[in-house]
Amino acid sequence: MEIMYLMIGLSLFMALGFVIAFVWSIRTGQQEDLITPAMRILQEDETTKNL
Amino acid sequence: MNIEIEEEPKIEQGNSCFHCGDKCGEITIFKNDKSFCCQGCEQVYELLNDNHLSDYYSCDLNPGISPTGKNFEFLNNAAFRNRLITFSNASFSKVSFHLPAIHCRSCLYLLENLQRLNEQIIKTSLNFGKKDLTVWFKEDKLSLGALATLIASLGYEPHISNEAEKPQNNSQKQLFLKLGIAGFCAGNAMLFSFPEYLGIEDGSLQHLFGYLNLALGSVAVFYSGSDYISNVYAHLKLRKMTIELPILLGILVGYGRSAYEILSHTGAGYIDSVSGLIFFLLIGKWFQQKSFDFLSFERNYKAYFPLVVTKIANGIEVTAPLEGIEIGDRLLIRNQEIIPADAYLLKGKSEMDYSFVTGESELIPITAGQSIYAGGKHLGEAIEIQISKELKQSHLTQLWEQQVFKDPNHKSENWENFANRVGMYFTVVLISLATAAGIYWYPIDPSKWSNAVVSILVIACPCALAVSYPFALGHGIRWLAKFNFFVKDIQAFERMAQVDTLVFDKTGTLTLQSQSVPKITFTRGLLDSEWNALYSLVFQSTHPLSKQVKKFLQHRTIIPLKEFKEVIGKGLEADFGDLFVQIGSAKYTHNHVDSPEGFFTSETRLFVAINHKPIGYIEFPWENRPGIEALLHRLRHHYEIHLISGDKKEHAAHLLDWFEDQDHMKFECSPLEKMEYIQKLQNQGKIVAMIGDGLNDAGALKQAQVGIAVSDDHLHFTPSSDAILKGSELPRLGEYLNYSKFGLKLIKASFLLSLVYNGFGLSYAIQGTLYPLIAAILMPINSISMLVIATWGMNQKGHGLERNKIRIKHD
Repeated sequence: MEIMYLMIGLSLFMALGFVIAFVWSIRTGQQEDLITPAMRILQEDETTKNL
Repeated sequence: MNIEIEEEPKIEQGNSCFHCGDKCGEITIFKNDKSFCCQGCEQVYELLNDNHLSDYYSCDLNPGISPTGKNFEFLNNAAFRNRLITFSNASFSKVSFHLPAIHCRSCLYLLENLQRLNEQIIKTSLNFGKKDLTVWFKEDKLSLGALATLIASLGYEPHISNEAEKPQNNSQKQLFLKLGIAGFCAGNAMLFSFPEYLGIEDGSLQHLFGYLNLALGSVAVFYSGSDYISNVYAHLKLRKMTIELPILLGILVGYGRSAYEILSHTGAGYIDSVSGLIFFLLIGKWFQQKSFDFLSFERNYKAYFPLVVTKIANGIEVTAPLEGIEIGDRLLIRNQEIIPADAYLLKGKSEMDYSFVTGESELIPITAGQSIYAGGKHLGEAIEIQISKELKQSHLTQLWEQQVFKDPNHKSENWENFANRVGMYFTVVLISLATAAGIYWYPIDPSKWSNAVVSILVIACPCALAVSYPFALGHGIRWLAKFNFFVKDIQAFERMAQVDTLVFDKTGTLTLQSQSVPKITFTRGLLDSEWNALYSLVFQSTHPLSKQVKKFLQHRTIIPLKEFKEVIGKGLEADFGDLFVQIGSAKYTHNHVDSPEGFFTSETRLFVAINHKPIGYIEFPWENRPGIEALLHRLRHHYEIHLISGDKKEHAAHLLDWFEDQDHMKFECSPLEKMEYIQKLQNQGKIVAMIGDGLNDAGALKQAQVGIAVSDDHLHFTPSSDAILKGSELPRLGEYLNYSKFGLKLIKASFLLSLVYNGFGLSYAIQGTLYPLIAAILMPINSISMLVIATWGMNQKGHGLERNKIRIKHD
């Protein structure tokens, strides 16, 4: 059963990692605009043709 | 959720403008085989093409907006600059603009490539949802005003508000943090409770898991649930009991009992249920906060006023920000400009349009020496005025000095919502039950009393109500937003469900100025050449009435004119060689007005004279908004309906039949009287919804329990209100009100259901036979079923509304 200690430790460690990442993303405002980045990624790369 | 505002499909035939998609009129500009409707559109195209930004046109079809060519140099004024620039150092400055015109992928492409148009721009970043553009630029080489003018010249005119933006509140971020952490705690607590679920016995691990659980539970209760604690505390200080009190009681008792069990090694506690409940409650809180970033529900008179005024100091004209004006200042007011403060007219003559302030549509002639009031729109040649009162003490702004405007919470404070009304009784019954059970069991069987008390408090926790409430109402405002009915928050939605009296404003709300088909009252028929001359003349004018005539006569051809003269505020005239055409007011064209009855104002009629002979007029009369009769007919069976108007009674003859008697209508009201009318109804115990559109309804909208602002063209310009309804949706108002009623009924029904649950549980709990663990399991099941009922019910009804709408469209 000693392995449980290690596993609990690891699982808590991982979960804490996720929580910290989540807190960081909120603090830096990454959840504030969820629309524009989705559109930005679909922008064409540069073309130089003129219409 | 992304709300899309329905837009008229752009006409795509023959000559539509390559830039903005509008139909090209007679004056079509051709460039590179493409047609443009105006110089402005063509210039934008050229600018983009020259800078290799023509991908703009490949993202979306005819994405452009025709630019207005407005100059924003006034932003260089220190007062504006300091307010707008959010950050500045030696190498760059940062500024954010609100650009209401943003609408598609092309906008994103262009605005995020702005640095290619001007090398002083370092980079830009767009927030599409909020329609905000942030620009980093070198201010020493490119002034703020020039930057704004550049953006405006592309068709994206920045909206600069007259007031400093309120600092963004942090509550949303805080809620997200609490929600995330509650989720983390609940999830991990369940993991650590797993051995308990499976009945695994292992002493040392059990204790370790217990302590970990307790740590997680403490975070969930005291960090994520901190709002409940502080809210309940604040309400208790005011001697008020809300629905939050029994919820908090359930949470704290459950937590306390678990802590005791864990620390005394007598059990595993049920931290998983407690933190799970907090997680659920916070999801509800998050769901009810639907905000419409692109709308403003808190606009006051300042939004309607000019940003800058032209001061005359020592004979020199200077532009100054509105806040800078003082008593005694001389200002220059041009045609169509708004008077910024009470003043005297020094030089010139004016026809003052106070419709904006009073709702009355007749123009008032003003001559030098007479006083004029803030909010009036000046028509005529430029005048000079001297300020006699500060803006704050003006006639118009006095309305905003009323108590209702000063207290931002006056609506919610005087409103006991259903949950809180129930919450009070609930708490009293709950605490008495728990106490009674405790007192009863303590002498008989001391081992049972704590079980009984804890089970009662935990199982009866009205979390069902706390869950069904935000979900039902939150779904409600989301559905209504799909129909272009934007409700400010769930409190406003709930108040809407309780309304029993509806008060309508007339002008602009029930009636509209006819746009399409004018009534032509000519003394004789016109020849083709005369129609063409008339069309060519109105083409020159920017007057709204001329524009309507222009639209109506589109198919005519333009003939060149020899001489052209515009007399501002009166009319225009032009010489076509063999024809001399005048259009404008009755006096100007020597038409005599023969019908005092039904005579509105010169504003709705365009008089015509040809070769100095009066011909008659083209009229765009006020008419009922389509579908209004049916709406009033239906509503008056279920509500008491009233009509108030700033206009004279004669102008409402076509509406009078729908309102019961003289006691249900009032005419020639000032904005303040409108507000008092609402107050009077409220004093009779009625719950009033005011439906209005203009600034003159602002007081009434604010005073009423629910103020619904009707807006036709731009959803951006509405007075402060609880809900914004698109004009074309007004005929369906009854259905939307019913929907809100349905929402509240659904909540009440699910509350009853949860009472049945609770009653079952309670009957065991009082006997002391319900083990607290079972109580803790019943609790989340109850919550989930409430969530499902609220979501399913509101969506069913919402789909019904949608089907109705489609059916009506097809009919």
